[in-house]
Amino acid sequence: MKKQLLLTSLSIVLALSLAACGNSNSNNNSEGATAATTGEKTKISYWTGDRHDAEFIKEKVAEFNETNTDGIEVELVVKGDDFDTALDLSFQTADSPDVIRVKENTIGTFYKKEYLAPIDEYLSDELKAKFPEMADLNTFDGKRYSLPNYGTTMRLIYNKDLFAKAGVTAPPTTLQELVDIAKKLTVAGKADGAYGFAQNFKNPASALGRSARVIAEMSGFGGFGYDFKTARFDFTGFKSIIEAFKQIKDDGSMLPGVESLDIDPLRAQFAEGKIGMYLSYSSEPGVYSTQFPAKIDWAAAPAPTIDGNAKGASGFLGGQWLALSAKSKHKDAAWKFMEYMYGDSILTAYQEKGFGISMVPSISAVAKVPEVNGIEGFLPNKYDGVWPVYPIVAPEGMKSDDAFFKYMLNGGDLGAVITDLNKRYNSALDDAITNDGLVAKPDPGFDPAALAGKFAK
Amino acid sequence: MKIKNILGNTVLWAFLLIFGLVTLVPVVITILGSFKTNVELTTGATFLPSKWHFSNYSEAWRIANFSTYTMNSLIVALSAVVGTLLVSSMAAYVVDRMDFIGKKIYVSMQAFTMFVAVGAVVLRPQFDLMVKLNLHSSLWGVILILISAHASIFFILVSFMKGIPKDLDEAAKIDGSSLGRTFWRIILPLLGPGLGVGALFTFRGAWNEYLLPLVFTMTKPELQTLTVGLANLKYGISAASQTHYMMAGACLSILPILVAYIFANKSFMQMTAGSLKG
Amino acid sequence: MNNKTKNAAFAYSYLFPSAFLTLVLGIYPIAWAFRYMFYNYKGYGTARFIGLDNFTRILQDIQFWDSVVNTFVYAGGKLLLSIPLSLLLAAILNRGLKGKHLLRAVFFMPTVISTAVMAVVFFTIFNSYNGILNQFLIKFNITSSGIDWLGPKHAMLTVILVAVWGAVGNYMLLFLAGLQNIPEDVYESSALDGANKVQQFRYITLPMLGPVMQMVIMLAIITALKGYESIMVLTEGGPAGKTEVMFLYLYKLFFPLGGGSATQVQEFGYGSAVAFVSALIVGMISLLYFYASKRMNRID
Repeated sequence: MKKQLLLTSLSIVLALSLAACGNSNSNNNSEGATAATTGEKTKISYWTGDRHDAEFIKEKVAEFNETNTDGIEVELVVKGDDFDTALDLSFQTADSPDVIRVKENTIGTFYKKEYLAPIDEYLSDELKAKFPEMADLNTFDGKRYSLPNYGTTMRLIYNKDLFAKAGVTAPPTTLQELVDIAKKLTVAGKADGAYGFAQNFKNPASALGRSARVIAEMSGFGGFGYDFKTARFDFTGFKSIIEAFKQIKDDGSMLPGVESLDIDPLRAQFAEGKIGMYLSYSSEPGVYSTQFPAKIDWAAAPAPTIDGNAKGASGFLGGQWLALSAKSKHKDAAWKFMEYMYGDSILTAYQEKGFGISMVPSISAVAKVPEVNGIEGFLPNKYDGVWPVYPIVAPEGMKSDDAFFKYMLNGGDLGAVITDLNKRYNSALDDAITNDGLVAKPDPGFDPAALAGKFAK
Repeated sequence: MKIKNILGNTVLWAFLLIFGLVTLVPVVITILGSFKTNVELTTGATFLPSKWHFSNYSEAWRIANFSTYTMNSLIVALSAVVGTLLVSSMAAYVVDRMDFIGKKIYVSMQAFTMFVAVGAVVLRPQFDLMVKLNLHSSLWGVILILISAHASIFFILVSFMKGIPKDLDEAAKIDGSSLGRTFWRIILPLLGPGLGVGALFTFRGAWNEYLLPLVFTMTKPELQTLTVGLANLKYGISAASQTHYMMAGACLSILPILVAYIFANKSFMQMTAGSLKG
Repeated sequence: MNNKTKNAAFAYSYLFPSAFLTLVLGIYPIAWAFRYMFYNYKGYGTARFIGLDNFTRILQDIQFWDSVVNTFVYAGGKLLLSIPLSLLLAAILNRGLKGKHLLRAVFFMPTVISTAVMAVVFFTIFNSYNGILNQFLIKFNITSSGIDWLGPKHAMLTVILVAVWGAVGNYMLLFLAGLQNIPEDVYESSALDGANKVQQFRYITLPMLGPVMQMVIMLAIITALKGYESIMVLTEGGPAGKTEVMFLYLYKLFFPLGGGSATQVQEFGYGSAVAFVSALIVGMISLLYFYASKRMNRID
């Protein structure tokens, strides 16, 4: 009896697997067959890790497949968290994509890995002028690899209802005001479980990357501790920022349990009205209009500066969108698709539908404000600007964000923490310069304030 | 004596109930959570859903492509189970029952793979190999890699093999049974409980495997497994995770493992006592 | 062909599928990754040979050694709680008890829930702002104010509890299957001799479960020392490294957990060296246990 059971299940499995194997074979054959019969269809694939615009892009890709007269068929592949891993592995096979979605934190790596092909030969003078050239964001060694579409701004997001209840009229513009207002909001809201301020410290890099970074950049300091003037790391600019955050926590104005708070629970609590203020990216309005419908009236304001003087620019992140694969066998066809995607109608619709804030001047001049509640505060203002790309180094020991958060929890000597960070980051920088060919040249004339104001209407 | 018994039983049941409850609470929260809206679930303010959203399930079913991908997952998981059990029971038999040169090397090799294994780090060389074998875009690559990671099942089976009296082998030998025949006809049936647990664990592991099928179905979406589909549930139109769909999808994908459990529980629970006597 | 060579041929032919697959898809990939431990390699570009520099860096890497200490605390806690509990449950649920099948299923349930979902569920239970556990404790006056379960003081305890919750079902099943190898008549005859349940457990169950128990504990040790996934989703090793265990630290070197828009560097070379040292630590502890348990068996 038992044996029979075993045998039957065995044979079922074998049959299933054979069927699967057969399936994939026949698929291969049929694909080959269709390609042979239709002959002229040029198949290219576009890989993206974006999901927020997937429906829209799908529609546009289908439209391209129907309307283009060159017999090009684009296959859209939408990947998730493992986009980078999948892309790395695909470049070891013959199945790598032809067009790749690149981001500000991946284009440099993909360029170094030689995944990307320059697009200069395809660019008309008109296109060259239309799309801003940005060093290390879409241009490497004088060659362009991508063009901008949309960018991300960073703001202070605040609960207007709680502000009104606490009698606070304007969002903070200095660190001291941030600390004071957080305190006032907590006093007004604590009975209902609302607190003045919150940060998602489950991942300190994520928490400080959306808060301390933009405050430093607005105040004229490099957002990740790198000083473009001297081409050295110097975290001194972060001292007062981290101290202010610690003060907020010590005052009891910070949402309890931020140590293990992820960004989504933070947003959900904000939507419920339990958080007075936090700092984040321009993707937030979309969250509050779809996933976490906000029960409160809220708005976004420029991030505060250290002392009220805006000596820098609030980072406007982006500068790239689609790139051409170096391994593509159909570069011309792939470019035709890119050209279509970078057309005015798609780029304009992109902003108007609220998928992102346009970084192309000619588009932002005509595109309407997206129909997403709360997005107004995120549109480029006189403070927004694109920073040069920070060099990436791998210091030995604790990363800056972890070290700062540890200080916030345990206290200690912040000056010593910063001295130690400077020492370790600079030695990693030196190592990268001597061994990995990293270029870091001092730029004595670098003026962070001059970065701002290039996108404001 | 009787009072002592009643007391003992009460303590026993109190322990089982309390511990069972503690075990079940997170499971219940998962199931209840799968009926909530995203914001209700993520704020965590309620225990019961304020309104039951059954649509989470239909959405999860649709987005994760359950109907298509379940078959692929079943093929991968069942093939991995059969392969793993075959390969490791054969090895366990000769390692436990026989002496040969290189046995120590083999056993330390198996142990070594258990000490290291940082999953994704070895993915690249494994993928390279499969590219050479032209198996990098089929589920066979996934199945082979899953079968190759059988060290723990091997050790489990060896330990169960030790519990089977060696007299049985001797008796079979005297009756003129070959080594192979003894293994298939006498030892393997007695290995029931070990095989049952091994099958269950392998099935669960293969069913939940994410990175391998993701990578090996990059260019063949029709071969994707359920876990890859489930990952699609995480992100929708905005930057926040669609946790409510993830929960619903997770609850659905648990069901096949529970079916496997019921089978395993049935098959390994009554088998041996009788066979040993006979 | 004489008997001996025939036997050897049989042994090798049965061993071959396992040995071949393990060598090609297990050992070779590990060797491939390990060779980078002598290199400075960031995942792309050229790997630069730096001899033993990665190992001198490990010696001075406080974060790593902190994570080793955390691993011992975590693994120790997990093992001390989960092994006795699962053995006890297996012993209870092996005998004729009403509802044993349902209870077995209940204790098995946690092992099928995916780690990604666990992260959300345990956050709603343990978070100090509005977690279910704190609400419960306050409502029933067990504590006056909430306990910061995921805060610096208690986070380790919490991740251990979660790990135990997820592991007991597995070991219970292994023990249950092992108990099936003990013939019923041994219990029957000992009952006739007047042995009570506890004595039966001590003098029959434990010794006869020997090999299975030895293996379960061995597997449990290795799994506990290597465990990181549930910690990663629950605390990401925080707050401030309080729950950072060896393999999580290692994982982050290879796959930095992204922080916003900042690019992260993959430390492939150093990561390989750390992987090697971690494997040595796991291997040494496992061997230590293996020989200790062998010796205990002999004395028994």
